[in-house]
Amino acid sequence: MSDTLAESQLLTTEEFLSDRNMHRIDETLTEVFGMMLGCEISLHSPMESEPLSSASGGDEKTAIVGLAGVIRGTCEIRMNRASALSVTSAMFGGAPPADDIENSICDAVGELCNMVAGGWKNRIPCLQSRCSLSIPTVISGDHYHVHPNTPALRMNRNYLFGSHGLKLTLRCEMSPA
Amino acid sequence: MRGTVLVVDDSAMMRKVVVRTLQLAGLEFETVLEAADGSQALTQLQQRTVELIMCDINMPVMDGLELLKQIKQQQLAIGVPIVMVTTEGSESQVLQAIAVGAKGYIRKPFTPAQLASSVLPLLAA
Repeated sequence: MSDTLAESQLLTTEEFLSDRNMHRIDETLTEVFGMMLGCEISLHSPMESEPLSSASGGDEKTAIVGLAGVIRGTCEIRMNRASALSVTSAMFGGAPPADDIENSICDAVGELCNMVAGGWKNRIPCLQSRCSLSIPTVISGDHYHVHPNTPALRMNRNYLFGSHGLKLTLRCEMSPA
Repeated sequence: MRGTVLVVDDSAMMRKVVVRTLQLAGLEFETVLEAADGSQALTQLQQRTVELIMCDINMPVMDGLELLKQIKQQQLAIGVPIVMVTTEGSESQVLQAIAVGAKGYIRKPFTPAQLASSVLPLLAA
């Protein structure tokens, strides 16, 4: 949890785009998947021709958690339905109830995103108490665009857990110092 | 087997995860009450006696910190340990939660051992 970035220092563009920040994100994913899902997750570099939704017929789930405070942005986690169902079953400790499967999937993906967003910001001292998280929003489907009000820095990371893929996008607008 | 636990979280999945993790940590409760926000939790507490409250902070309608203030103001759940379970982990939030009555604080994600070490001393007290 310790970080060399002091609490009084703001998160700069260089810091946001740094290897150290990518490592924080990777570390957070590893922690959340290990503790809450009981599985390993690793960084993955998909080929351009490898669509995220190949196994789902385009039925994707995207969870978005807003960040507000000294930074403004979003943490997004996107995966296909099969991956989302796998996350749901792992968190649920078995198959989710058949009569409430869609709600359970959205709930699980939203909570996953919430823990990842929280885990990342809690690794950065200057964000711990000066950046709040929104309640997660979950989008079903793959034909959507996110339009931030102002240009934002963006970091994309792709991961694999078991045979499933997950794409994480962190968007961040820096407040002026 | 213990009495009743109230789990407060806007995520139904997370409520189940908390209950399952308590079980894995060896804490079985006869009755599990669930509430999706602070307002629902207050209604439950006005009608029932509980032995433990596990509570999220970020929730719609009424958040966890406001729930704790209301519990104190309405003199509900007197002496019942309240453990905050949240992704928010800043020192100021921990202090805020303790100031309004929280006895424990655990950050998501958590393991059964971490949950047990937060809850067991409070139940034994």
